[in-house]
Amino acid sequence: MNGWTTAATLTFAGGVGATVWGVATGPLRRRVVAQNLSSALACPGLLLLAQGYGRPAYVDLALVLALLGPVGTLVFARLLAEELAADPPASPWATWCAAGFAAVVVLVLCAATGPGRAMVKLLVTGALLTGGNLVASRALAGGFPGGRRG
Amino acid sequence: MDDPAVVVALLLVAAAATTAVAVRDPVRQALVLAVLGLALAVLFTVLQAPDVALSQLAVGSALTPLLLLLSVRKVRRRQKQETKGEPE
Amino acid sequence: MNRRVRLLMVLAGGAGLAALLVAACLDMPGFGGDRHPYGDRAVHESLARRTANTIASVNFDQRAFDTLGEMTILFGAVLGTVVLLRQTRDERRAAPRPEDVAPPVRRYALAVLPVAVLTGLYVIAHGQLSPGGGFQGGVVAATALHLLYLGADYRALERIRPVGLYEVGDALAASAYLVLGLAGVLAGTAFLANTLLPYGTFNTLTSGGTVPLLNAAIGMEVACAVVVLLARFLDQAVEIEEESGT
Repeated sequence: MNGWTTAATLTFAGGVGATVWGVATGPLRRRVVAQNLSSALACPGLLLLAQGYGRPAYVDLALVLALLGPVGTLVFARLLAEELAADPPASPWATWCAAGFAAVVVLVLCAATGPGRAMVKLLVTGALLTGGNLVASRALAGGFPGGRRG
Repeated sequence: MDDPAVVVALLLVAAAATTAVAVRDPVRQALVLAVLGLALAVLFTVLQAPDVALSQLAVGSALTPLLLLLSVRKVRRRQKQETKGEPE
Repeated sequence: MNRRVRLLMVLAGGAGLAALLVAACLDMPGFGGDRHPYGDRAVHESLARRTANTIASVNFDQRAFDTLGEMTILFGAVLGTVVLLRQTRDERRAAPRPEDVAPPVRRYALAVLPVAVLTGLYVIAHGQLSPGGGFQGGVVAATALHLLYLGADYRALERIRPVGLYEVGDALAASAYLVLGLAGVLAGTAFLANTLLPYGTFNTLTSGGTVPLLNAAIGMEVACAVVVLLARFLDQAVEIEEESGT
């Protein structure tokens, strides 16, 4: 264990643990937000693990999650549009907190790796993750106003 | 088992998997499955199996929910059609 | 067979399985120990053939025949889906109405689609160097195409996705894997033996002999298979309706 893996463990225990609770209970609008937050929090955790284990190749995991996590939330937003329109989720506070956390983690890791291709990859991952999660959250809160069509 | 990261990942998987079984509505089950996939990916990563974790992420985060929700939509559409067709 | 006998059989089978599992668990090496007889040999072989990612060496070299079996399972599963979810005689196609999508969501989907396809190809291409490979990259690339359905509508996806071509691609990639295996036989060694090509320089895109080629074949097979699979599900969920009044 070093500082990075400890931070990752805390992220998983606190952040992802909370989203497991969130997705398990409550109305649908809370569950979809918890699903969106789970990828927003697990991805920085994976980045911290890659740094903690000293294996830059593990960053690929976070990159794939940063791409596909928001896509998964879009799937729910698109195919549950009718249910969500009746009871729209609104979670600006939690979403911005998660996005801010991801941004801080990416910036700290960038400072630790120093300039180079690894840093570009980290920045791309961070941009895809924060952008994707904000858009996915927007999609949940009325991104498909037509409801269920095609 | 002395690594706290492994313990946390195992607990997350156990909690998410139990929830996936306990939840009965397929739509909510798909949501829990998406989070369970993430927990499994974390577990594989802390056990130093990134290839398996990557497979889990690729399949679990978007593909499985899409297949499940498309099936749910098909079933609901058929039900709607049947109730619409009844009065005729 | 009545209920009671069935229950007894399940209980007997379950008890046997539980006993075997417990016996196996008692004999297992300790969790996180440092003795890995199989792992050490696999790493040694993989380095001898200059494949940086041992998992890729196990999948496409040391256990390439297993991967052929796994590929056949996916191929068969998709084939079964295509047959089961075809349009039957009492069903008709109804063109879906276009979906209203909020502009930021549409822009995000269109911007991320090429990035995701590129990431999929990157994961496939670096399969023998870093975590990843044909299966993972293929799934990512195929999922990425469906951003068009999520961010625009089904008609847009159908325009860039001629399902027939993907079915042909699936079959071609599966045969390519077999042909590469048979090439080993013709070269005088064994089915799927990694002796055809020079092993190259360690840790480059072309190192590892036939590993990158088999990896690419699997990548194409998986990507095409996932596209065909999702096409059938989407057809059923979005377009195909039962004929009313039957």
